[in-house]
Amino acid sequence: MSGAVDLGRVTFIVMREMRWPLIMIICVYAVSILGMVFTPGIPDVITGKPQHMSIFHAFYFMTYTATTTGFGEIPLEFSNAQRLWAMVCLYISVIAWLYAVGAIIHLLQNPFFIRALSEWQFSRRVRHIHSPFFIICGFGDTGSVLARNLSDYGLPCSVIDINEERIKALQLRNYNVAMPGLCGDASVPKHLIDAGLMLPNCKKIIAITSNEEVNLKISALARILNPNICIITMSKVEVFEDTLATLGGEVHIVDPFKTFAKVLSAAMHHPGFSTLNKWLVREKGATLDYYVHPPMGKWIICGYGRMGYEVNRVFAKYGIETAIIDPNTNNKSGVDNYIIGRATAKTLVTAKIDDAIGILAGTNDDGHNLGILLNSRHFNPNIFTILRQNHHQNEMAFISSNADMIMQPTLVTARRILFLLIAPLLKVFFHYLMEDKPERMQEMEAVIINLKQTIGTKKPHLITIHFKPENSKAVIDALNAGKDVTLGDLMRDPDNRNRNLELVFFVVKSGDKVIVLPPNDYKIKPHDQLLFCGTASAQRLFNATINSEYKLFYIQNGVFMPRSWIAQWLVKKTNRIGV
Amino acid sequence: MNLEKVIFGFFVVLALTLNFGFFLGEMDNPAHHNVFELFAVILVNFIATGLKLGDRSQIGAVLLATSLVADLQLIAAIMYWTYAVHIIQMGLTPAVTSSIVSLSGGALLANIVSTIILVTETLMSRL
Repeated sequence: MSGAVDLGRVTFIVMREMRWPLIMIICVYAVSILGMVFTPGIPDVITGKPQHMSIFHAFYFMTYTATTTGFGEIPLEFSNAQRLWAMVCLYISVIAWLYAVGAIIHLLQNPFFIRALSEWQFSRRVRHIHSPFFIICGFGDTGSVLARNLSDYGLPCSVIDINEERIKALQLRNYNVAMPGLCGDASVPKHLIDAGLMLPNCKKIIAITSNEEVNLKISALARILNPNICIITMSKVEVFEDTLATLGGEVHIVDPFKTFAKVLSAAMHHPGFSTLNKWLVREKGATLDYYVHPPMGKWIICGYGRMGYEVNRVFAKYGIETAIIDPNTNNKSGVDNYIIGRATAKTLVTAKIDDAIGILAGTNDDGHNLGILLNSRHFNPNIFTILRQNHHQNEMAFISSNADMIMQPTLVTARRILFLLIAPLLKVFFHYLMEDKPERMQEMEAVIINLKQTIGTKKPHLITIHFKPENSKAVIDALNAGKDVTLGDLMRDPDNRNRNLELVFFVVKSGDKVIVLPPNDYKIKPHDQLLFCGTASAQRLFNATINSEYKLFYIQNGVFMPRSWIAQWLVKKTNRIGV
Repeated sequence: MNLEKVIFGFFVVLALTLNFGFFLGEMDNPAHHNVFELFAVILVNFIATGLKLGDRSQIGAVLLATSLVADLQLIAAIMYWTYAVHIIQMGLTPAVTSSIVSLSGGALLANIVSTIILVTETLMSRL
């Protein structure tokens, strides 16, 4: 479709640029060959008449002369007249060739041609992806983290970014799946179509450029061009969020600050939650043993931007007293304790740092945030610290700062989007765990202990299985045959059914019904969706079980299913179920 | 322990070892190649093929294919033997013997492939 148009454009440019060089070469050849044919050669020994070259021989002569190969005087020795004409041929044909080659090189260096060629190659690579894929618009810190994680999960993407260097970096990276990249403006419909927006296996578009307006534009274009596509976008501005919500269809808006505020509020009430969250997103050094528990008490918020605002809202909800330090005088309304100025030793003292219990360094300047951390520790060594890290490159400094919580908006966004893509049911699971009921605390504790025992220090993988004939043939066949398959069955190791696989079931979605922490005797129905957390090897073995009738038979019955006809006959004869 | 796997593995490996035993020796010397050994090779190969019938898994299909190749080679060998010795009564000349042994060599290769697949499958399920 558009690929063909692009190919047409590339060939069109080549043909148009090569028009004159080609005509020139044809003319030069024609003149040279005809001249060679009509020039008299050495006279024949018998008849004495001058011999003439045939057109075939003249063309052969031109072929090796024009390309400066020079085999000599073939098929007969030349007469002096022919030698004279051969010199003329050589010079004009070499000039014609140089002109043609020059035109090709000139074309290859033309930036517009390079662009057309790369667009064509990009769209061809996108069309070669046959599995479901996503479009990522914007390959900054968030986009690259997301692409790396999706590649680990074996999900291909097409990437558009306006910055050429980022696309070049993308092409150098080593991904497990196809990640074609195009340098261009993602809010141009043609680029979105090249990226595969209209293809049936394009499932989601992720608009995470650094420009909010561009994200909005991409979302609107995507909705118009493909009404069924799921749109995921990043937005930090309320006005845009309202507009995005009215686009219709499936739209997810990720706001890193709101997400972080939610995690913070959850951490204050459920100490295990932020531990679980951090471990599931595989944050560096995260273990299930260390609980972060932001204390209740007086807090100081440095920087009243989007992050400060969202965190303050969380604190206000829990009735926590806050002092805000910010140089901007416009936001003062509605805040009781607002100190105008930069967060310095002086303003921190004014905010009564010595009896504060926690401090949030949430400005958009990394150096300043680290400065606030050091200042506040000087006045109050035991203070609970939350740091905002704006740039990925400052990571080493932030890790060594030993802050209690570090918030990187880019990482928060990338992980949130990753969860939306690979584990949409996780949201339900988290909602359930954070419900304000007394027994939830114990349930969360139990989940964490369970995860610690089954997975421990190994890398957690979140896996969503949709029980369909394409990806779980054995289970669907068993269900269609009227047999029951329970989650407890599938949990067994297909090599030794007395062992369990290293996995923990989180959620089952069956039609409209959602069962969180499903019991082991839950009977699977066709088209159920299952979310579980497990190790890489557990995932592989689980997939083997749900696809092999022999393995499924073994874990359900404890005996092996007879494979050959002879064994089947014997088993039937002896009235047993297996061997 | 899966009893079917034990029996299956036994016949697959036995087919390979017998086949190797028949193949061993000077290529064109009939004294080095026993007709009863060839008979045993064919018998065991047929049993191994029978045990492979009915398996619906991917690996089962490949194993059946290699087994059928071995059968085909061995049938060709025994038919040539019968033709040379009993029909045209030429006897086991060096030319006839080397033809029969080279056919059994092809069957040996198919049996080696069978065994490699069997071992790989067993190791794979351990991972």
